[in-house]
Amino acid sequence: MATIWLLVLTFLLILAVGFAKDLLKAAVALAAASVFLSLVLFYHGAWVAGVFELSVCAGLITVLFVSTVSLTKDSDQNEESKISRFLLPAFLLFFIGIDIFAMKWIEGHLLKATNAPIAASDVTKGFSEVFWGARTTDVLGQAALILAGVFAILALFKRTAAKPHAAEGGKHE
Amino acid sequence: MSSEVYGLFFVGLLTAMVGIYILLGYRNLIRIMLGVEVISKGITMILLGAGLYQGRPDFIQALIITFIIVETIMAAVMLGIVIISHKIHVTLDIRRQSKLKG
Repeated sequence: MATIWLLVLTFLLILAVGFAKDLLKAAVALAAASVFLSLVLFYHGAWVAGVFELSVCAGLITVLFVSTVSLTKDSDQNEESKISRFLLPAFLLFFIGIDIFAMKWIEGHLLKATNAPIAASDVTKGFSEVFWGARTTDVLGQAALILAGVFAILALFKRTAAKPHAAEGGKHE
Repeated sequence: MSSEVYGLFFVGLLTAMVGIYILLGYRNLIRIMLGVEVISKGITMILLGAGLYQGRPDFIQALIITFIIVETIMAAVMLGIVIISHKIHVTLDIRRQSKLKG
């Protein structure tokens, strides 16, 4: 039952992201939603994933969002059309309807089809065995992705030192 | 299916749909990024629900960690693009990003 309440709180905070007029408040609401989601993960024994969700999603990503909001403060960031905000409750009812149908389909077809028995060795494996043993390719992919991200950020914020010299050269000529 | 797994699937799908609405309904680049993050929260819930349904919490934990790392790198790179785009256009309105036209 605790999971259901935590999920309801998470969803209310997610709705606050859509409704909040101020981007800073929306970012903080997303961080709070991440905190509740990490509590759900802790509750179900996914400790490591919970720690990642709490530190990375609720911490690092929020810092990135708040930094971006403050760096772009001189722009028209809060000038949003009100229609999107007012239409959200109506669309929410529509989404709940779709969700109910989707859940019926998942229960009736998808979960029955994937009810294949799992090997006992798979279930008894601990987290470290799964992460470092069975999912080694994922770890390599993560390392490659982090490197790609670092290079992308470096490329984006690279200061072009050649341009001012070129301009000076042009003036002397 | 237990009520907890049902709840995780139900709220996860709903969250992903709200994220898609934020992605399509708003025009501010930062809010669009928030929409992407909202979708990823929904996906995390669905992943956890799938793991609990199959009775493999350790396996799904590894996948959730991989997903969180992908999400973080994506957010960092996209927010970098938002800052650069703001420097060029002095606006965050996606409709005024005319220089992005191919």
